[in-house]
Amino acid sequence: MRHAGAAAAGLALIVAVLFLALPVAALFLRVSPGELLHAARSGVFRDALFVSVKTSAIAHAAVLVFGTPAAYLLARRRFRGRGLVLSLLELPLVLPPAVAGVALLATFGRYQLLGGTLNALGIRIGLTQAAVVLAVAFVESPFYVRGAVAAFEAVDATLLDAARTLGASPARVFARVALPLAAGGLGAASALALARGLGEFGATIVFAGSLRGVTQTLPLAIYAEFEQDFEVALAIGALFVVVGVAILLLLKLLPAWTRSLSTFAFRPAASTSS
Amino acid sequence: MRALAVGAAALVAALALPPATSAGGGITVFAAASLTGVFPKIAPVPRYSFAGSDQLAFQIRQGAPVDVYAAASPKYPELLYRDGLVRKPAVFATNRLVIVVPRSNPARIGSVYDLRRSGVKLVVGDPAVPIGSYTRQILDTLGITSDVLKNVVSQETDVKGIVAKVALGEADAGFVYVTDAKAVATKTKTIELPAWAQPPVRYEIAVVSSTKRAKAARAFVARVLSKRGRALLAAAGFGLPKRR
Repeated sequence: MRHAGAAAAGLALIVAVLFLALPVAALFLRVSPGELLHAARSGVFRDALFVSVKTSAIAHAAVLVFGTPAAYLLARRRFRGRGLVLSLLELPLVLPPAVAGVALLATFGRYQLLGGTLNALGIRIGLTQAAVVLAVAFVESPFYVRGAVAAFEAVDATLLDAARTLGASPARVFARVALPLAAGGLGAASALALARGLGEFGATIVFAGSLRGVTQTLPLAIYAEFEQDFEVALAIGALFVVVGVAILLLLKLLPAWTRSLSTFAFRPAASTSS
Repeated sequence: MRALAVGAAALVAALALPPATSAGGGITVFAAASLTGVFPKIAPVPRYSFAGSDQLAFQIRQGAPVDVYAAASPKYPELLYRDGLVRKPAVFATNRLVIVVPRSNPARIGSVYDLRRSGVKLVVGDPAVPIGSYTRQILDTLGITSDVLKNVVSQETDVKGIVAKVALGEADAGFVYVTDAKAVATKTKTIELPAWAQPPVRYEIAVVSSTKRAKAARAFVARVLSKRGRALLAAAGFGLPKRR
């Protein structure tokens, strides 16, 4: 019975791996290295890569800057309505991206909720690169905040309290104790959010439209090419996987690197005080 | 465990079956996005998938389970016919292009030539979709292609995307079919294009060769080509080809 259970679990794992890996493998099996190189040199790919990297970088920076202290607060404090706030922050997770796009349009559109005010100030968001940034930030932020709250909650609270009793200011406790201790979890959450942001499609096409070199991100370029030439769409898709894997690896390595850095910085400080 | 496997297999099989089979009798019609309003009025029974004509043609090439294909251009039906994937296509409607602007007309567009002004936010179709190629044909005929296309803020993959962005007021103007403009007449204003620059926009319909419901599919095509079908198409703003 026990053997049967293990065999079934093994089978399930094989099915899961095949199901997830096969389409990615097909992408590379269908595209020859020559085609891949050709697509990598194409103007469409370069323009889309530039737009994707730029908008994702801005959106991700904003998510980190606002999301990290917010997650710290949510992890450390228990207050009325905390559950509600957490749920609100996670809401975009369950929204289909097209709904997110429609919602953003209803908020920032020229004649919508905030659009009139922004328009009076001379700011137009719909169908611009700013719209791409907002769409990406909107859909990726819950992935980061969720992970970041969990990462800060996993930090031993007694360490933070000890730092406080030793006279460190709350800001210093956050920056020098909580942040380094949560770095691993924060890095993982950051990678997941970035990956989700790079793949953003539905909200972007609704809210920002698609224009090469301006709002056409990699997923939009793949969709546009799919309409014209399936082979080019496949090649850009394969390149997207390469870019995605590179970013994920980079971010997986980053926490380990920062951790070694922070312990290195910590040791001399400890030795001088003794 | 075995029950689970059988259940999973049954579920996969059920999802993979062509939808028409499970519906029992209804046919599936792939139709250009610009037919969204009128086709269900001509025949409410079939399942419809409305999208860009090119995308639908691609899905037919990939073996989508579909019985009838109606496109906003002769190009894709004729290519599919050449490859034996659809039966002989027939022209069933014509259309013409207009410019739509939001009701308030924020960019004060009075004619197609105003689209050359800098700062106008224009939405057009992607060159791969019929509306996008017709738009470029008109601009070429008028000799203002580069001046107008520099104002493009988005290239949409079907007509519905263009209409939505103009109707919401996000874009200042867009090129659409006159039939689409009619559907959003309360939110937009229509600006005519010079008749001499209009490309011939012909809609073609064909029975898909691989259909298992050829009779029902032919009946649907006949219904579109019938007197009643023509009347409904005309009411929706379409032009009509001469009766054969």
